[in-house]
Amino acid sequence: MMWVGWALAALLFLVLFGQYLAGQADIFVSIANPRPLDEESMVVVLKGWGFAAHAAQPFVTPESDHGLCDVRVFATRRQTLVSLASFGFLRPVTVAWRAHAGVFPLGDA
Amino acid sequence: MPIVRLGSEGCWTNYHGTGTCEAATRFALRSGDAERGRDEIAIAAGSVQDWLGDAAAAQRRVRPLGAGWSPSNINVASQCWLLHTRRFNRCFGIDAADVRPGVDASGLMLVEAGALVDEVSDKLEQQGRSLWTSGAGNGQTFAGAAATGTHGSMIASGGIQDHVRALQIVTPAGVHWVEPAAGVMNDAFIAGTGSTLLRDDDVFAAAQLPVGALGIVTALVVDSVPKFLVRPIQNLRKVNRAALGWLATGDFRRFSAAYALDRDPDFVQMIVNPYKPFKRPAMLRFLYREPWRDDYPRATPGQLGAGYDALSLLGRLLDDYPWARGALLQFAMKLGYASGPDVDAPAVYGSWGEGLDTHRPLADLFNASVTIDRADLARVFELICGVYARHGGSTVVTLRFMSRAQGLLAPARFPHNAVIDFDGPRSERTAAAYARVVERLDAEGIAFTRHWAKSCNLDGARVATDYGEDFRRWRAARDRLLPDPAHRALFGSEVLDGLGLTC
Repeated sequence: MMWVGWALAALLFLVLFGQYLAGQADIFVSIANPRPLDEESMVVVLKGWGFAAHAAQPFVTPESDHGLCDVRVFATRRQTLVSLASFGFLRPVTVAWRAHAGVFPLGDA
Repeated sequence: MPIVRLGSEGCWTNYHGTGTCEAATRFALRSGDAERGRDEIAIAAGSVQDWLGDAAAAQRRVRPLGAGWSPSNINVASQCWLLHTRRFNRCFGIDAADVRPGVDASGLMLVEAGALVDEVSDKLEQQGRSLWTSGAGNGQTFAGAAATGTHGSMIASGGIQDHVRALQIVTPAGVHWVEPAAGVMNDAFIAGTGSTLLRDDDVFAAAQLPVGALGIVTALVVDSVPKFLVRPIQNLRKVNRAALGWLATGDFRRFSAAYALDRDPDFVQMIVNPYKPFKRPAMLRFLYREPWRDDYPRATPGQLGAGYDALSLLGRLLDDYPWARGALLQFAMKLGYASGPDVDAPAVYGSWGEGLDTHRPLADLFNASVTIDRADLARVFELICGVYARHGGSTVVTLRFMSRAQGLLAPARFPHNAVIDFDGPRSERTAAAYARVVERLDAEGIAFTRHWAKSCNLDGARVATDYGEDFRRWRAARDRLLPDPAHRALFGSEVLDGLGLTC
């Protein structure tokens, strides 16, 4: 029966490792014709398995009066390890975005 | 005041993550709502001049920043004031009454310095016009792309700076309107922009490609051609060694007939795996220009082959497993290359602007090139691939073609140019391999130049040698625009000083 235990342990390790890799995936949403400014980012920490979300800073971004071009959500290796080590109680993720520069109609010189 | 301060002093990292400005104070130049373009740029130029005065008083150097696209750190300086221009991005049509007699205004457009190549392209297409060439991506500001001599692979065209017909440059001492001696815009228009007129062929040729060292470019007059369609063909083919000879002699028709359509191509690009370049399939891209028609079947940028430079994938693997580098690169080429239509697929068409894309870098980019006389291609291409692969270069090698470009410091300075790019994931080993390529070309006595915006490790002595008399003329033009050494130093940085452009 020992080999069944080892096989189960290996399977669980692979499941965990898969979660570690997948946790670093980059979720990227963009509008069709971006006119981006520089990228800004912030770290958001989900606590208590998602029951509470805490942003490290308020979601205030300079130069966003024309809206956003794109948003990325991803976790770094360290953030994924924090999540795994805390059994998911803490789930830090990085949210990065680029504001839109604005589109003006063609004027006359 | 169209200039606003952005936050407090901090770091700024460029688009490709290759350089960081430490302790930078950031400002943004914003478009206003003036009715006429000339009024708008007059207000902006005045504000920029005041801002330059403030920077000088604060004993800070300055750097204009467009999209921050250049990987060469040419736009990176620490403890300086950065002026972001991206929100200064309006475009204006030019009327026949605004130009000098004999100048055709129908293709001209006044562009603020922060407008992206993509925005300029869109605005031109609204008017039935088009750029005739540009780089592989369209996310640079037009002013930034011109300032570094960005180019594509349109065989009969030069660089993107060839579109520039006149420009407004702000220095601490004045606002200058620079155009060729023959003139473009009329005096009333120029007076309306708040600029002092400077009609001079050398100063204009210097300002077409200023490398960010001649002042702050606030506006450009951009020329265009009637809108046209391109039909792309993209495929993976093993290229015969003899075909390099056809390319070297300019027999693009024969190359196209062998690997795509039996027609004269307007654009030819070949991306090879430097590990066995003639044994592994190369990624070929051809564009065939056709007259515009409104009823062409629309295609997505992906179907048109946009994103063909997106090869940053698998960077770490290439560095970590040298024994598998050749196979991994080939795999990355297949993954990273947009699946364009081959010869036997239904034809798709697009305008010039539709075939370009604003890519996002997936990894730290290594990006370098050498531009050689096309006639030397057959002799040196295999040599370059061999040296690069032997020393562990971990990127694909791209071959592009262009004619001599305008601007005194245009790297494409041969009558017919072959540009060999090394684009991919950044690593120390790849940078060292590129350095070995440069050494070998020097040892073989082969003339070449390097791109201003790429990581090419240039220095002042080399720039002076590569550009010779044109470099002396460029510096003379610079000294006319910036006669005060203190003003020249204001636009300097460690990189630009090292290149001999600002000191």
